[in-house]
Amino acid sequence: MEEFDKLPAKVNELVNSFISEPIIGTDRFGITQYSLAMFIAVAILVIILLIFRKKQAASIVPKGRFVNGVEYVIEFARKDLVQDMLGSTWRKHFPFIATIFFFILINNLMGLIPGFHPGTGTMGVTFALALISFIYFIYVGVKKDGGMGYLMSLKPKGVPFPMNWLVWVIEIFSTFLRLITLAVRLFCNMFAGHIVMGTFAILASLFIERFAQGVTLEAFTGAGISLLWLLVLIAIYAVEMLVAAIQAYVFSLLSAVYIQLAEEDE
Amino acid sequence: MGVIGYGIGVIGAGLGIGIAAYGATTSMARQPEVQGRLFTVFILASAFVEALALIGFVVSLLG
Repeated sequence: MEEFDKLPAKVNELVNSFISEPIIGTDRFGITQYSLAMFIAVAILVIILLIFRKKQAASIVPKGRFVNGVEYVIEFARKDLVQDMLGSTWRKHFPFIATIFFFILINNLMGLIPGFHPGTGTMGVTFALALISFIYFIYVGVKKDGGMGYLMSLKPKGVPFPMNWLVWVIEIFSTFLRLITLAVRLFCNMFAGHIVMGTFAILASLFIERFAQGVTLEAFTGAGISLLWLLVLIAIYAVEMLVAAIQAYVFSLLSAVYIQLAEEDE
Repeated sequence: MGVIGYGIGVIGAGLGIGIAAYGATTSMARQPEVQGRLFTVFILASAFVEALALIGFVVSLLG
């Protein structure tokens, strides 16, 4: 099994391919493979939604798989994400949360294409998304109570004197921690998924390479082992499809929860 | 060393998510009609537990 000796070098090569490199422009100001993929994903999303609008307007009753499929996803985002979480004010926040949900969803799904580096696979994009969400819920809170009022509303009611200030400090700390956890959760899940899928793809390709030395019995056992890795890869691919949808759901659900926490009455 | 520390730290988060999943599945079995609501709560709870593991990941990268 000398194939396993080649694995670390190949995996290193794989990990190096995840470092952002500018395709256009310089290191300081340019478009990396990640942002290019992000633009492509957004373009695809816009095209899908424009076709959806046109087809939906064509008839009163939704017809066909495409229109019904997109409507199902939007309905899911509206019902499970926004209405259940936010209650009466859902209509105000629906556009924001739906935008985040669809942006992450299309990026995650594009990441399942082999060799494609989606926007959510890099820290920059996920951190920007988390920052947008963070600013949005702080804005909602400040708009409701005013700057000082929002800061003070983090202090718990009905807790005796020294403890409530201690809890207040912890609450402020955890509010800023939300920014980091939102960004890192999405990034880690996507990045780890890409690395694992890549590793199994490398294993499958290494064992099939025995055919290069000639068609022998050893080459056929190599093909058998390679098929085994391929089956594992398919299973992991299916899990990653689930993770792609779940992570988009989790990110937008947490954004909705944070907005709800900022908005709720004491 | 950082990797080992991260591994130890993740034990807690793993147990936490496991307990959350246990609670969610048992209550779904008892009361299937609140499944949708329970699933949302479960995802939320595991997201909060996961945050601890993620902080560990960041710290292991920094250190």
